[in-house]
Amino acid sequence: MARNSIFKIVGVVLGLGFLMACSLISPETSFAATHPQELGAGRPICSECHSNDVAKGAQKPYASFDHTPTFVKDHRFQANQDSNTCASCHAQSFCADCHGAKVPMKPSTRFSDRPDLQSPHRGDFMTLHRMEGKMDPSSCYACHGRANNEKCAACHR
Amino acid sequence: MKPRTQVVLLATLMSATAWGQEVSLYGTTMAQMWKQETPGFDKATFTPATQYLGIDATKLGTDNLSLHLFGWGRTDLSDASNFDGSKSGGYLNYGYLQYRFDQANAEIKAGRFTTSQATGFEQVDGVSVRTDLRGGFTVSAFGGKPVYFKTVDPRNQSDYEYQRDFIFGTRFAWRMPKVGEIGVSYLQDGTEAAKDLDIPSPIDYTRKQLGVDIRITPASVFDLRGRTVFDVASHPDQAPGTRDRSRIAEHDYTATVKVGSQVTVTGNYAERNFYAFFAGTNLPSLFRQDDNDMFRGFGGSITWNAPTGVQLVADYRHMHRETVGDVNRGGGEIRWSSSERTFLGGVGAHWVNAANTLFVDPARPYRSLSHKEARIWGMVTRGKLTASLDGILQRYDRDNPYLVGIKNIYEVVGSLGYQATTNVKVSGDVSYGSTAVAKHETRGLLRAEYRFGFARKGGR
Repeated sequence: MARNSIFKIVGVVLGLGFLMACSLISPETSFAATHPQELGAGRPICSECHSNDVAKGAQKPYASFDHTPTFVKDHRFQANQDSNTCASCHAQSFCADCHGAKVPMKPSTRFSDRPDLQSPHRGDFMTLHRMEGKMDPSSCYACHGRANNEKCAACHR
Repeated sequence: MKPRTQVVLLATLMSATAWGQEVSLYGTTMAQMWKQETPGFDKATFTPATQYLGIDATKLGTDNLSLHLFGWGRTDLSDASNFDGSKSGGYLNYGYLQYRFDQANAEIKAGRFTTSQATGFEQVDGVSVRTDLRGGFTVSAFGGKPVYFKTVDPRNQSDYEYQRDFIFGTRFAWRMPKVGEIGVSYLQDGTEAAKDLDIPSPIDYTRKQLGVDIRITPASVFDLRGRTVFDVASHPDQAPGTRDRSRIAEHDYTATVKVGSQVTVTGNYAERNFYAFFAGTNLPSLFRQDDNDMFRGFGGSITWNAPTGVQLVADYRHMHRETVGDVNRGGGEIRWSSSERTFLGGVGAHWVNAANTLFVDPARPYRSLSHKEARIWGMVTRGKLTASLDGILQRYDRDNPYLVGIKNIYEVVGSLGYQATTNVKVSGDVSYGSTAVAKHETRGLLRAEYRFGFARKGGR
């Protein structure tokens, strides 16, 4: 009897919690899944068209997404929290070109026909990484330390 | 995940694309060849072949359901080029189903995916959800089995795998239009404490992190963002008399200011306390948690985008590591692109001055890390043909202990490409260089890139 009462109370609480959670969800429509117009070649400057708008969901000016050279270097800030905005133009595989977690070769080798890309680890990074690691091992860890360590483990046992 | 499970998952996911109304397939096939002659070792010829494959299938029965898949496989056609001696390998980088709701930017992902909503940047086999809430709030969460490959020390392998049985994280944030955002996140990797294992382990691999992130964007010309991460896992008591270890794993903040339409200035400050930052590392021999070392760095860059297609970038960074010393890095780059982007070119130079470092080479304490780097490149497109040349030179101080007497390291890569159709491109590269391992190294590479499908989204 006591067990049944507990189940009923828990059920009512969960049901009310679910209803409350649903009522908390924003009624706004989602950001466009696909950009409605075909974009031209080269890096887009969003603010050229969306001059004063705030991106839906991200709640920040479209200018924050202008693909300036600075944006390309620091795009992690946008990609981390606003991947919906990225996804309106970029397929998911675009990220995996460089951020594959476990990849068979450096991005600069895979895209050696594209020297204009800002690929990391150009040249003989095998030599250079010993110095970079001395200066700041936490910079390696941010991408490689938590998962992709098989190559590291070949020497660092 | 076991290989058999991966094959089954891959087959299931690929067959699901048959329901997609918009299916895109991206592939890159690469064949490389190089010979290596290293003193003390046999001559070796390497000819690895690598296949990348990505699939995006949208509108799977409903407009909101999609499937995303990306992986690669490689095999050595002659000598093994892998460090572990194996001649083949492959990996499923991600494979997940995604349902995007029409309301509240809500979405659900299930399968293997990468998540960066919480404090970490994690690869997970599991489920993730996110939605916007009323009043500018957002909430997201994920949970599943963490994707790792191996731990280094086999004695700890079982402890490590047992403790890392489950990973979960959540983030709760508040966004205010044209003001900014503040978020709080939590991540836990592993649920079993080391002391609670059947055979209690002296090393605890469980990772517990609490993060606070902030973004201030009052106008499009100013952006300040960053995060502070705390290590909230339990650790053994410190020995009496030792310095207190910081619980702050990381501060990382970046500000960007746009001056007019052509100039952008950025500044960054980062601080990481290694004991907290490397907590729960799966590579303890490299990312050591047994000392009180810390890193602190600050720097910035100025970028000028001239209307003539010229771009000038100057950057500087000061780095301080408590057990090594101070390092300064600076340099600049000039890029130029023609109006039709038929010619792109750039030249850059950087220097690293490590005059105040310690312990790297006790005999010559300040020479080891100092070096200079120069790079020049160009790329031309004429109709369906592309050609590029890329050269990089790294010049080190004489007697650098890492370089077996070599002072200059360089690499030159020449590439020719032919865009056969809108969706097919073939290209070939030849590179020549000198490294600490190989004084004269020539490499060849053939590449075929192709894309089939109907979806409009693409990539680079």
